[in-house]
Amino acid sequence: MDNILPSYLILGAILFCIGLYGALAKKNAIIVLLSVELMLNACNLNFIAFAKYGPVPSLNGQIFSLFNIAVAAAEAAVGVAILIALFRQKGTSDVVDMDSMRH
Amino acid sequence: MESTYAQLAWIVPLAPLIAFLILLAVGRQLNRYSAHIGFIASLVSFIFSILILIERLGEETNYTWNDWDWLSVGGLSLQMGFEITNLNALMLVIVTGVSMLVNLYSAGYMKNDDRIHVFFSYVALFTFSMLGLVISENILELYIFWELVGVCSFLLVGFWYFKPEAKAAAKKAFIVTRIGDVGLFIAILLLFWYMPGHQLSFSAIHNALSEGAISSGIVTLIAILIFVGAIGKSGQFPLHTWLPDAMEGPTPISALIHAATMVAAGVYLVAVTYPVFEASATALTVVAIVGAFTALFAATIGIAQNDIKRVLAYSTVSQLGYMMLALGIGAQVAGIFHLFTHAFFKALLFLAAGSVIHMVHKQNINEMGGLGKRMKITAWTFGIGALALSGIFPLAGFWSKDAILAVAYDENPLYFAVGLIAAFFTAFYMARVFFLVFAGKPRTPYEGQEPKESPAVMTIPLILLAIMAVVAGFVFTPFNPWLGEWLGGAAEEHVNWTVMILSNVVGLLGIGLGYLMYKKGSIARDAVSSRVPALYNLVHNKYYIDELYQLIVVVPLKALGDLLSLFDRYVVDGVVKLAAGSALYVGRLGSRLQNGQLQGYGLVSLVGILLLMVLLVGRRFFHVG
Amino acid sequence: MIDNLLDFLSDGENIVFAILAVIMISSSVFMISFTKVVHMVVSLALVFLSAAGLYVLLEAEFVAFVQVLIYAGAITILMIFGIMMTRHDKQDEEPKRPFYNVLLFVGAFALFGVIFFAIQDTTFAPSYGFEPGLDNTREIGLLLYREYVIPFELVSVLLTVAFIGSIVMAKREEE
Repeated sequence: MDNILPSYLILGAILFCIGLYGALAKKNAIIVLLSVELMLNACNLNFIAFAKYGPVPSLNGQIFSLFNIAVAAAEAAVGVAILIALFRQKGTSDVVDMDSMRH
Repeated sequence: MESTYAQLAWIVPLAPLIAFLILLAVGRQLNRYSAHIGFIASLVSFIFSILILIERLGEETNYTWNDWDWLSVGGLSLQMGFEITNLNALMLVIVTGVSMLVNLYSAGYMKNDDRIHVFFSYVALFTFSMLGLVISENILELYIFWELVGVCSFLLVGFWYFKPEAKAAAKKAFIVTRIGDVGLFIAILLLFWYMPGHQLSFSAIHNALSEGAISSGIVTLIAILIFVGAIGKSGQFPLHTWLPDAMEGPTPISALIHAATMVAAGVYLVAVTYPVFEASATALTVVAIVGAFTALFAATIGIAQNDIKRVLAYSTVSQLGYMMLALGIGAQVAGIFHLFTHAFFKALLFLAAGSVIHMVHKQNINEMGGLGKRMKITAWTFGIGALALSGIFPLAGFWSKDAILAVAYDENPLYFAVGLIAAFFTAFYMARVFFLVFAGKPRTPYEGQEPKESPAVMTIPLILLAIMAVVAGFVFTPFNPWLGEWLGGAAEEHVNWTVMILSNVVGLLGIGLGYLMYKKGSIARDAVSSRVPALYNLVHNKYYIDELYQLIVVVPLKALGDLLSLFDRYVVDGVVKLAAGSALYVGRLGSRLQNGQLQGYGLVSLVGILLLMVLLVGRRFFHVG
Repeated sequence: MIDNLLDFLSDGENIVFAILAVIMISSSVFMISFTKVVHMVVSLALVFLSAAGLYVLLEAEFVAFVQVLIYAGAITILMIFGIMMTRHDKQDEEPKRPFYNVLLFVGAFALFGVIFFAIQDTTFAPSYGFEPGLDNTREIGLLLYREYVIPFELVSVLLTVAFIGSIVMAKREEE
């Protein structure tokens, strides 16, 4: 194949969908957070692939993926903090039990 | 202008209608004074009817007013209005006269009833309907009033609705006459279809049929269907079963509706559409046969009944049979004449019976006796009525029955024989009732107060009717056929002495037999019934016709009704419940989504995004492909 | 099809890509199918590492380095801390919601299908040369401090807010 870009993109898509499945199907909140990280990773892969093989190759894609990593880290930290607080409150880290948003 | 009173003929039904409305509104407050309202209204109508009749004695042409466009559809319009002919004018007097006397009588009879105002309002409504029927200008208008009269009969028969027999009788009356009404309705439809210009007025029918505008097969069909309607309303065989049961209503009603007026509506219908019958010999034969059969049939049942009102009811059925027989053999004038006289003496008999019932609170003639001494006026008037009904010279019944029998003698000896035998039975059962009720000694003791004569409000109508029963016959005798000329045109001039003598003899024989069996006791009461009990049971149980109808008609229809109600409950309701249930189910399903589970919400969002993507973007691709 | 595959694998770069891709995908599948949480974290770390490898292949060395440092290092450890703090003695049993899981699987697969279809349908313009420069770090630094200074500062503010916030939230309630 001349163009390897579609392969990268498809790889990214696969990772994203697996991450999506994990985020919506798992019971443990930690695992949901892990799946979210996986999804963000897939996006990064996309950016960097386009940075090299896209129509206008430049380093912008890499810059953006750096910012993405920063935001992902911040979000993971805050997420774990929330999870710990919730665990103290409810005694379980089960997402099924976090249902005060009903009705 | 010539027809001054005929122009105002609309006042005649209007007065009772106003009385009805007044009684509907303030009847409860008026209470006993409702009787006054009813009587005044009927008196007003009666006076106007007399004026119209007097005016019509000199008139040649009918007065018609049909300027009210009731229904205009497409190019077709149905008029409503009224018409005054000689026949109408006579009927008006009959109806208003009997109604006025019944109103007066009921003031006394219904005095202690709580719902007296309801009673008088129904009577006023009935009078309005019957008068409207009589002056109808076209057959559709007549049908409207026909139905209204049926409703009033239902209301009045079921007046004491807390009695289950009265409820059942009212339903029976309405349903059985309804069967006849369907025939009449189909006849109206056929007339509408086949009449040139879709005209329905009686004058148009008369013209169209004298020109032969409708083919003979259709005319026969129409005539027979009209007669079916008359069978229902006038209680001819086989739709006679409702009339005896209708005796559950108050006795003044039986006098007004089931003796003088509503049941005469059937006869009037045939008379007013007579051109249709004249154009079809088959139809006339059917009418005559049904009439003759009913006359004999009902008379035989009457001799074995023990309730005084039932005897009179079967007598009414029998006399209506005579009227139909007269119409069927072409003696239209004789039939109307018999209707005229019958109205008076049958109303008289019913009111006298009511007077007796009012005093002794019993209806079984075997439990009465010896009332002649105590209730002189009632006894005398009842006797006059009974003699008139039996056709004894020179009372009214003799002349009218003689007119019918004379024509029957010329037409067909079979009809004459049947009429004669029925006359014998008529005389016999009337004598039986008279002697058992008024003569001899009381068979059972009368509880409570000693029976004495009824109050004047009740006896005055009796006396007036008795006078009419004596003199009314003289308007149409073979020696003086004035009524024939005035009503029908042609005059029958010849006098048939054979018939006159034979009918008198037969009547006297019947009375004599009744005297021997019930007063003197020379022949035992159960002379026939003990030897041939089967015969007695047959007539006493009305030839088991009611039971037959129950088996053949009522049971299958009820089963069908039950089946259909099951269908309604499970299938139709099931579908509705299904619709409601599925909406509920979908709602419940949807509400399970609102459970606070973020992951569920995420899934729904995912599905939504996918759908959006496919629908919005994919459209482009699928159009190309 | 086999010819295409063999053609593809003749290039060395492509072989490395293939290997790394396989590792990534299998690790992520393991991640969601393991039962114990710690195993899941380990496989996720493997995903991150192979992603870093791919970045190197894509001539983004600095990003690869940052990936290893932050993702495979900090975030993985953070998750393990999270697991430690929210101790659960019993095994993680997944709730039996077969209908939901099937629908979700179908949904995720459909999403993948749509993206795949979109990718297949696109004709990518041939890229005209990528000039990464000799030193990737230097280039990125230049870009960051010249053109993307403001986002850079904003991200630092964001990180500050994030760590202050998480401290506040995870703090034990003082008497």
